[in-house]
Amino acid sequence: MSKSRAAVAVSAVALLAGLTAACGAGGGKSSSAAAAFDPATCQGGTLTVLNHRGQGNFDPAELYTSGGGKVPTLVFRTLTTRDHTTDGPDSAKVVPDLATDTGKPNQDATVWTYHLKPGLKFEDGSPIKSADVKYGVERSFAPELPGGPPYLRDWLVGGEVYQGPYKGGDLASIETPDDLTIVFELRKPEGDFPFLATATQFAPVPKSKDTGTSYQKHPISSGPYKVVSNDGGKTIVLDRNPNWARSADDQRLACPDKVVVNSGLDQSVINQRLAAGTGDDANAVTSDTNVNASVLARLNSDSALKSRVVTGFFGETQYLAFNPKVKPFDDVRVRQAVSYAIDRESVVNAVGGSSVAKPATTFLPDQPAFGYSPYDYFPAGQSGDPVKAKELLAQAGYPNGLTITLSHSTVTGDGSGPEVAAAVQEALGKAGITVKLDGTADDDYQTKYQKPATEPGLFLASWGADWPSGGPFLAPVFDGRQILADGGNYNSFQLNDPKVNAEIDAANKLTDQAQAAKAWGGLDAELGKQAYTVPLFHPIYKRLYGKDVRNAYVSQWNGLYDLSRISVK
Amino acid sequence: MIRFLLRRTVSTVLVLLAMSAVIYVVFFAAPHDPAVLVCGKGCDGARLAVVRHKLGTDLPVWEQYWQFLHGLVAGRSFDSGTDLTRCAAPCLGYSFQTDQPVLQMVTQRIPVDLSLTVGAMVIWLVLGVGTGLLSALRRGRLAERALTALTLAGMSTPVFLIGLMLVMLFCAYLQWMPFPSFVPFTDDPGQWAANLVLPWLSLALIMSAAYARMTRSSLLETLAEDHIRTNRAYGLSERRIVFGHALRGALVPVVTMLAIDVGQILGGAMLTESVFGFDGLGRLLVNSVNQIDLPVVVGVTLFAGFFIVIANAVADVLYALADPRVSVA
Amino acid sequence: MSETPTVAQRPDGSEPGSEGPDAPVPGREPSGPRPDRNQVWRRLRADRAAVAALVVVVLLVLMAVAAPLICALEGQNATTFHNNLIDSATGGVPIGPFGGASGDHWLGVEPGTGRDVLARLVDGAQVSLSVSLGATVVQIALGVLVGLAAGLGTRTVDTVLSRAMDLVIAFPSLVFAVALMAVVPGGFPRPLLLMLVIGILGWGQTARIVRGQVLSLRGLDYVAAARLTGARRHRVARREILPALAGPVITYGVLQLPANVTQEAGLSFLGVGVRPPTPSWGQMLASATDWFQADPSYVLLPAALLFVTVLAFTVLGESVRTALDPRAKSRLRAGIERRRKRPEEAQA
Repeated sequence: MSKSRAAVAVSAVALLAGLTAACGAGGGKSSSAAAAFDPATCQGGTLTVLNHRGQGNFDPAELYTSGGGKVPTLVFRTLTTRDHTTDGPDSAKVVPDLATDTGKPNQDATVWTYHLKPGLKFEDGSPIKSADVKYGVERSFAPELPGGPPYLRDWLVGGEVYQGPYKGGDLASIETPDDLTIVFELRKPEGDFPFLATATQFAPVPKSKDTGTSYQKHPISSGPYKVVSNDGGKTIVLDRNPNWARSADDQRLACPDKVVVNSGLDQSVINQRLAAGTGDDANAVTSDTNVNASVLARLNSDSALKSRVVTGFFGETQYLAFNPKVKPFDDVRVRQAVSYAIDRESVVNAVGGSSVAKPATTFLPDQPAFGYSPYDYFPAGQSGDPVKAKELLAQAGYPNGLTITLSHSTVTGDGSGPEVAAAVQEALGKAGITVKLDGTADDDYQTKYQKPATEPGLFLASWGADWPSGGPFLAPVFDGRQILADGGNYNSFQLNDPKVNAEIDAANKLTDQAQAAKAWGGLDAELGKQAYTVPLFHPIYKRLYGKDVRNAYVSQWNGLYDLSRISVK
Repeated sequence: MIRFLLRRTVSTVLVLLAMSAVIYVVFFAAPHDPAVLVCGKGCDGARLAVVRHKLGTDLPVWEQYWQFLHGLVAGRSFDSGTDLTRCAAPCLGYSFQTDQPVLQMVTQRIPVDLSLTVGAMVIWLVLGVGTGLLSALRRGRLAERALTALTLAGMSTPVFLIGLMLVMLFCAYLQWMPFPSFVPFTDDPGQWAANLVLPWLSLALIMSAAYARMTRSSLLETLAEDHIRTNRAYGLSERRIVFGHALRGALVPVVTMLAIDVGQILGGAMLTESVFGFDGLGRLLVNSVNQIDLPVVVGVTLFAGFFIVIANAVADVLYALADPRVSVA
Repeated sequence: MSETPTVAQRPDGSEPGSEGPDAPVPGREPSGPRPDRNQVWRRLRADRAAVAALVVVVLLVLMAVAAPLICALEGQNATTFHNNLIDSATGGVPIGPFGGASGDHWLGVEPGTGRDVLARLVDGAQVSLSVSLGATVVQIALGVLVGLAAGLGTRTVDTVLSRAMDLVIAFPSLVFAVALMAVVPGGFPRPLLLMLVIGILGWGQTARIVRGQVLSLRGLDYVAAARLTGARRHRVARREILPALAGPVITYGVLQLPANVTQEAGLSFLGVGVRPPTPSWGQMLASATDWFQADPSYVLLPAALLFVTVLAFTVLGESVRTALDPRAKSRLRAGIERRRKRPEEAQA
């Protein structure tokens, strides 16, 4: 996932990840395709990726990915990665990639040690050493290469002041005792470190080949493909990396000889082209565009088309955010009233209906890996409970209703756009809350709400998972120590509750994922009572692929088909 | 003549300067901080400052504008913190949000608008001038009325409307052709043309209305002029009069109009591109405006303005050259 | 604005004025004595196309003005969601044929929300008509002011203002409108903003015409006489020149209207016009590519309305022009005379 995605989508955060456990539902099942699919003979052809958003800078330091990303995973291998080989719940698990295991923690999970597999090579044939991984991580600290996830700066000892290798020398908390060993020293326990190590920041970068901000034009590949040309992310052409071998990589099949990524396409054009599947489009997929209404409407009558639609889930929540510094949102009764009044059916329909979104009453996505524990403290039913909302408003001192302003982005087609705002406006109106809408151009909108000084009182926001775990889902939004005054702040409620902070710390210590999930679920249920947010919906990914695409199954980490194992032959 | 050209050039440059200055002012009047988004999640003050410096948004407006102008004339270098990026004159600026020189982003998209313009132009000239000629020469009530109706309808249809209707009819219902999607001429000329037929038609149907009217009225006017009357008095055939004498003069205003229209569409056909989902200059502009990517907005606007102003100048010169009655002193 | 070759919109300095084959250099000759009002009416009434267009325009205006009444009659409004009337699983396609048309919703409901289409169409007419009318007023007001000032002012004033006109006319106005609409803060009322933006970017032609008229009027005997008798400049402007400008300005205004309707729809189509929940035809058409297969009536209705509106205003404009200037009549049928300004005029 790219920086520009991070910039464009309101789920600025998020990017890959996402997991579904029980619901391997939909056309994603690979059973029938797998029968006809033989990895031994799948090589050949050109895979085309038709995307709406640009890939942005193709620099492993600037990309915002987890699980290795979609296109990035074809070029960059990382210490660990999501399990590419399956579509079941296991695909949400971390597996080793460059490393021999997913990492060995010390007793309290503050020191993590990795060993590289021997014999790994860059595209130029030179060996991949632990120093290259260290250098790759260090580069991501450079402010000149902005855009990557913030966790490394927060977690590594000395990370908060380190300014990257160009101005700051090297980072002492990453040690490379030998060419195959790398040790990370953290300033606090982080049981989720193996998840973070799936990000492209953990891809090796040979120091001698680093050209700073120009590196993105031709990053040195460690994966099955190398970059042949890249015109600013609009068209990226990937060709086989001769120094990569299947024998040294159990995660990627790399069937197509060539991969061409075309970005900047209109979403309806992508759907029309994939549905028609003429010429090269028969060998095409998209990694960022849901099916639109015109495809959905045809699915019931066109079974051939239906078989080419896969369904996946990405851990993301679209919600109404409150800023208690703006009255009357400091009053919990007003927030509860809004929670009762919300009409989730209208909101879901506004973003494309029940096929692409499901109503949410919890902040955590409804997947076990996040620690989902169901709750609905302010039951609004399908279409809202204006009576109950009015009662609460009367208690709060607004017997005759009140007027509030809802801020939203002006970009239609994403969950923070004007259609959703209109649906919220309409629902709250029934409860006597007059809503004025304040739309702002997309990028400005994010800048505005991510800065406490300019944060509006009530606005549409979304939070997506950096990896399938409760930690990265709750901490940035509710941890009081993650309030950022200069911007990039997602703790919209500016909540700084010592009790909550302590619980977050306790959960972060857990290296047992099942225990951690339980802890996060408990915390979410507790936070929910305060109505800090009004969860609206979780997105469902429904995507079409070309006629001749084989082995397209959905990873439950990111809700998408796995580009590294697709075949077009 | 030279003085005239010189004067045109100077005023052209002035117009372009004013245009770019206005964009800078407009964008700085409203508070924006693109650095926050470029910087990403969890960005603190110090990192933000570096990014602002990299984007150049830490400088006062006038200084940014001055640097922009300087780059336009003499090129400039961008210090990204790790390396210098040289942007040769005419440097339209550098988009740090996409890490590309604006000129490169613009030139990437020119093929789309060039393809749109060239094909549509051929169609609307044939249609427009043809209809205009026909109706001027066969002045009957029916032909006249048909033309009036046709041109009014053409002039009354927004291009996105006609584009939508064409796609709906030919792609969705009749399914005679696939949904258009731009294929570069160099990749496959056949596919290029096939995919462009509908966009061409949308633009051309609308434009040809104006050309038909212009051709007709201009021809009628010329036919009424003294030298034509003289020719007629000498007994030249109507055909000779029209094609040998009148047409050349009559097409002068058509050609000048053409220069201007071509200039406009080359600078970005926002609506047509939007309907067909083509990634041309117009879409680049709309997207950059949404992303507050100021260097791109300025660059594309200036580029579009450049085409329009140049086209105006060309039209004036053409007019001056072709019409003996106009003095160009 | 590219892609909309409406006469009035051309940035080429062509004048939609009515100089004929034998008219000398434009702008030098006054547009003749003003026809009296009755005469104009008589001519308009005799023109069948004009009468038809006028009827359509009156109907459209009535529809916009009576929008609340129409909604009340139908018993619907433009903002209420009807989730029970759409099929959520297929993306929100209205249930039933013709976009879910029924006794309750005469023209069906909007896909995705179930809002009443008729209510949204008539409310959209309000937006479309008020914005384009407002924008025209702004264009004319600015154009007359600047044109007058240039025509009556000193040589320097004239030069500066003429350059400004060139600038405004040469501006890629759609490009600018998109930029402006996106940058202005969300709290500003959108329809008003649309009026202002379209108006401010479109006064150049009017100013140019007014200036040309003023320059020619200045040379006329009665104006010169008024000035000789010592009347002040603004008095001359008000008493002698303004009335004489009425004809060309009205003509130009009516011709400008359809261009403004188109521009409003275009901006809303590009997503920078009015914002939901305010309905607009352009906005409805913007989602057309998603819906024209699943719900064609939702696309065809606003498309037809937009087309009819622009057509009616265009026909009316042409007819008014003819009625005000009978010399142009033959040429209306033939096509409008569109002659570029002579370079030496442009240099003035």
